[in-house]
Amino acid sequence: MSDQNDPMAEIRASFFIECEELMEALQDGLQELDDGSEDPETINVVFRAVHSIKGGAGAFGLEALVRFAHRYETVLDEVRNGSLHPDSEAMKLFFLAADHLSDLIRACRDETEINESTSDELLERLDALLGEEGGAEEIAPEEFEVQGLSLSLDLDLDLDTATGDDGGDEAESTALYTIRFKPEQELFATGNEPAMLLRNLCDLGEARVRCAFGDLPSLQDLAPETPYVEWIVELRTDAAEPEIRDIFEFVDGLCELEITGGTSPLPEPQAEAEAATEPALPEAAPPPPEPDPVATTDTGATILPMGPRDAAPEPAREGEGERKATPAAKSVVRVDLERIERLVNLVGELVINQAMLSQSLDEAGLSPHSDAMNGLEEFQRLTRDIQDSVMMIRAQPVKSLFQRMSRIVRESSAAVDKEVRLITEGEATEVDKTVIERLADPLTHMIRNAVDHGLEATERREEIGKSRAGTVTLTAAHRSGRVIIEVADDGAGINRKRVQEIAVTKGLIPADAQLSDGEIDNLLFLPGFSTAKQVSNLSGRGVGMDVVKTSIQSLGGRITINSEPGKGTTFSISLPLTLAVLDGMVVNVANETLVLPLNVVVETLSLGTDDVQMLRPGNYVVRWRGGFVPLYDLGVMLGYRSHRQTDPGSIVLLIVLEDGSRAALVIDGIQDQRQVVIKGLDDSFYRAPGIAAATILGDGQIALILDPADVISGMGHIRGTDLMLSERKIANE
Amino acid sequence: MTEPLVLQPKLDLPAAAPLAEELKARLDGDLVIDGKEVTQLGALCLQVLLAAAISLKGKGHRMTLTHFSDKVVEQLAQMGFSPETLAEGRA
Repeated sequence: MSDQNDPMAEIRASFFIECEELMEALQDGLQELDDGSEDPETINVVFRAVHSIKGGAGAFGLEALVRFAHRYETVLDEVRNGSLHPDSEAMKLFFLAADHLSDLIRACRDETEINESTSDELLERLDALLGEEGGAEEIAPEEFEVQGLSLSLDLDLDLDTATGDDGGDEAESTALYTIRFKPEQELFATGNEPAMLLRNLCDLGEARVRCAFGDLPSLQDLAPETPYVEWIVELRTDAAEPEIRDIFEFVDGLCELEITGGTSPLPEPQAEAEAATEPALPEAAPPPPEPDPVATTDTGATILPMGPRDAAPEPAREGEGERKATPAAKSVVRVDLERIERLVNLVGELVINQAMLSQSLDEAGLSPHSDAMNGLEEFQRLTRDIQDSVMMIRAQPVKSLFQRMSRIVRESSAAVDKEVRLITEGEATEVDKTVIERLADPLTHMIRNAVDHGLEATERREEIGKSRAGTVTLTAAHRSGRVIIEVADDGAGINRKRVQEIAVTKGLIPADAQLSDGEIDNLLFLPGFSTAKQVSNLSGRGVGMDVVKTSIQSLGGRITINSEPGKGTTFSISLPLTLAVLDGMVVNVANETLVLPLNVVVETLSLGTDDVQMLRPGNYVVRWRGGFVPLYDLGVMLGYRSHRQTDPGSIVLLIVLEDGSRAALVIDGIQDQRQVVIKGLDDSFYRAPGIAAATILGDGQIALILDPADVISGMGHIRGTDLMLSERKIANE
Repeated sequence: MTEPLVLQPKLDLPAAAPLAEELKARLDGDLVIDGKEVTQLGALCLQVLLAAAISLKGKGHRMTLTHFSDKVVEQLAQMGFSPETLAEGRA
């Protein structure tokens, strides 16, 4: 992490990335259990997630994590084997433990302080679930220590004279296995070490370990990070084969593993040992089986070459349910985000370059049917395909974000003592990674607000005949080329009377202000506004919704409120799919070139003589399909020119806003429709209302990208209220 | 007699390549390897030592392993070697 050249740091970083995936699986599994799933595979997934985190943590000596995961896993194991049937309280505890596990992972990753007291408290509660038998035993600290320990068995091996006759008088339950283990390079790259695996194997019983190194090249030819050797272990043990396989669980797919035997000693081990250990005889070791993916020996034991997880079919074996539980892993490649960013930037340059080329060819006056123009068309299509593909790399499902929110709901509902149920929909909706990351804070605020302010107290809900538990619904969906994320509660709805009173009390609006419901709702987004009578731990400090709005706006998004008294409130966030490229309409206004997002433009009109009506001076509407739509002159709105008479024949863009309302924008001309690369205006620029970003056109000219809804709201009542409020506020100060 | 080669404490994946380089430079005579500082011996470094031992043996030189702690000797045993067999390039 800190040192990019340190392979161990990379492996460690990759472990933490894996942890995120495991935590996602854990949360999913717990949710399914909580929803009443009785599928044994669900608990297997949960168990294995914790188990895998423990294993990885052990390899890196993250003791606090290992300790907690071990005891958590012990309890989950009880559920897995049917001894423990978790009730709703136990499920809550499992969720809390998962949350804490996530905290521990983060603390270990960031090397920050670990909250041991929470660990202890949760472990005590987890242990209590185990009942009379007492708590889970503390994990032996050395269990995950990579370095060697004193072996309990005699390892003073005379390998060349192994006879296999010792232990002959042991209990009949012991069996002799031969385990062939050949590590692959990936095994080391993931922080695993054969020495530890071999030691664990030895711990199962009486072992003879032989190393076959027939393939080992000379030192001069040796690639130091490539494994050439393999081990053959003869193990006499009373452990069952699955137990032996469990040792190699974390290196599944990273080694070749064959386990044979199980009943009788191997024939002529001495000869074999000699063959195996002499470098002069490359055909070492018991001959590996032909590359048959699954073969069964005469003894009934399974030979299982451990290929990649998604490629190696697993044999169905009794008592091995947990092995099947792992869902088939998708083949994935982890790529440094920086590399993707570089690719995105390059594609951005390609789009600009293509626009320049297009413009040059246009200016050259070539026939549209010329080879060059045909080639350009193909070039544009390819550029777009590349663009889409690159954007897909950056897109991620919002699931991980939603899972974080379920934790927020758990914690915030506990803090205000309300029963809350979170319903999530559209978790598979994909959004740009950057957007997801930057949504976490605003969504957290919104969820907390919904729980704290939105939902009534439990007793109150019962009084008015609502279900005891309030519901918060979190949904994500793609709509009209944007991502819509909604946080809805089934609470009391916004108390508009109270909101207005507070706004007046705080001097934010005049006492006699006549505001529509929508305008009152929007007061919640004013800086410093809070309706909470008491400041709680969660919200009520009057900063939440203001911060939310600012964050959403900085992502090129908008937030709207829809509230119905007694039924609840819905906050809708509308976001661009990507922060990198936009399909735009390039227009001229007052000798300026501007870009409007194409998805908001629904129609272009040419004004007729009777189309425009004046409502009052400065306010016009345009007749459109039997109705009227407010008409704005874009040049005036942006301050490029003062008011002017709208002439018949003027070009008008009809745009549709998120709330379904429409507006008509007067422009001077339409240049083109094209993909533009969004170039952010950094903080050194004043953020002018209505200007979302900028782009570079084909001729190298810079054009501003507009946010039409923001432009309109700047002119409309809501914005007017904002301005009025701001002015009033300044006057009061 | 040449200076003994003192091994690094942690002979894991990152240590394998540097160890191989050091050993390659010292294949022209008997070699004493001092393991007094070693706390962890992994499979990749074991391979490197083994390849060096075989190369030395092929050239008629000797490798001697000294001062390995009990813990490391145990680690070697877990991988099927003793200091002596490793030094002789045999298991």
